[in-house]
Amino acid sequence: MEFQSCVKIINEWDIVAARQLGRNVAKELGFGTVDQARITTAISELARNIYLYAGRGSVCIEKEYVNGKSGMKIIASDEGPGIQDIRKVMEDGYTTSGGLGAGLPGVRRLMDEFDIDSFPSKGTKVTAIKWIR
Amino acid sequence: MRIPILKLYDYLLVSIQWELDDATALGFQEDLLQKIHETSASGVVIDLTSIDFIDSFIAKVLGDVFSMSKLMGAKVVITGIQPAVAITLIELGVSLEGVMTALDLEKGLEKLQQELGD
Amino acid sequence: MNQIVFTFITHSRDYMLEEWMNLMKENADERLINVVSNEMFVQTSAEFIDMIISNTRRNNEEFASKLSDFAEKVVRLGWPLSFIIEGLHKFTLVVINGMVMKEQVTKDNQMEIIYDLDKWTSPMKQEIISIYTQTWERTVSLQKMALQELSAPLIPVIEGITIMPLIGTIDTERAKQIMENLLTGVVKQRSEVVLIDITGVPVVDTMVAHHIIQAAEAVRLVGAKCMICGIRPEIAQTIVSLGINLNEIVTKNSLKKGIDAALDWTNRKITKVEE
Repeated sequence: MEFQSCVKIINEWDIVAARQLGRNVAKELGFGTVDQARITTAISELARNIYLYAGRGSVCIEKEYVNGKSGMKIIASDEGPGIQDIRKVMEDGYTTSGGLGAGLPGVRRLMDEFDIDSFPSKGTKVTAIKWIR
Repeated sequence: MRIPILKLYDYLLVSIQWELDDATALGFQEDLLQKIHETSASGVVIDLTSIDFIDSFIAKVLGDVFSMSKLMGAKVVITGIQPAVAITLIELGVSLEGVMTALDLEKGLEKLQQELGD
Repeated sequence: MNQIVFTFITHSRDYMLEEWMNLMKENADERLINVVSNEMFVQTSAEFIDMIISNTRRNNEEFASKLSDFAEKVVRLGWPLSFIIEGLHKFTLVVINGMVMKEQVTKDNQMEIIYDLDKWTSPMKQEIISIYTQTWERTVSLQKMALQELSAPLIPVIEGITIMPLIGTIDTERAKQIMENLLTGVVKQRSEVVLIDITGVPVVDTMVAHHIIQAAEAVRLVGAKCMICGIRPEIAQTIVSLGINLNEIVTKNSLKKGIDAALDWTNRKITKVEE
């Protein structure tokens, strides 16, 4: 891992900072405009989840090289209340905040790889990767 | 930072020029409804040409603006959604159902005129 | 390498070649025998056996370069991988049989000989498989590129009306590419109506339909209208029996009908000029 860059999510403005960082790195890595939009949107959703549900946490971005493929990895982690029922939050339209309920399932569709780990009262960690085509 | 809302005859024109943060988006929603009330405008065009990403929160605000304006008797057309933004929205699972769209400001105004029948 | 094995292999070339060819011909399928002439078979077989024998000189670098040359030659010949691996296996068998016949294998040394032969042939197998795989991977990636170049063009017909003919099978990767082309094209050409023609799409399953619906929704978001043309009877049948809901999208059975409808939407019609 030669590169990692993190943004702490404490207030609403940090959501903007996180997605700007994501967009810059995506651009630098050579992602096309559509993928840049996908990545920025995914980061925005993840950062907002941290802000809304955990209060504080961080979004980190790494460059990823595996088997000749290169890509970008987003790690969103917090030490918040955790998710009780992961299956439920991965369903479209499920929301506890009055949003669209598109967040996590949407992020999974926007990215190429998606992984979620959550322990009640310990926190949540979401890892997502987008490969350069 | 506030988003300027311009009045043109019976319509309101809004061009969003920079990345929306949550507070600005909510502030815009309030301002627009207030303005519709003040001017009793019958149509609103929101131009998103310069916006390069929309997440589910902003999408929800836009959808809400659409429904709320409709309740107040104003039709909303959203114009200039970029291809990348459209693809991201669809993949996110947000299709802004029922919201009128047009390619650009000009086409948006034409559409409003057709819809409102004058 | 065991001295007895080494001596046997390096001194019994002709015997091994003969035996090996007989064994392989017994097992080879018709297809291979028909494709390769007998003369060619003898020639390549000799090459194959010589190649294996040459490996007993323990010069690894020379072996690696020779082996990759050989493997590439075999790939060009069209010998299947299974045949080559079978060939190596049969070769080991020939060596053991030959040594048993010459009574060089005793109770005391048999395990050692078998172990020795295995230690010798395993790296060869691995090298051949890896070269084969590399060749396949190269072909696959070239074909992938060729397929990408095939991605759908967007054709403007009349001002405001654009057609995108889709041809061939649509997978997720291609669907994404098509969607990007479609949307950038619509915005660039300022189209009011896009006709997606699926006459050339052989199968419309749930996934393809899902991509088409997504494309239609995205087209609506950028501010244009979308129509699906060229729905054949069997496609209509599959769509309905799979329970896919295309009700939100305007569909037509032919491109011609689609163009008529698109003209209608944009308040135009084609008329004959009076002479």
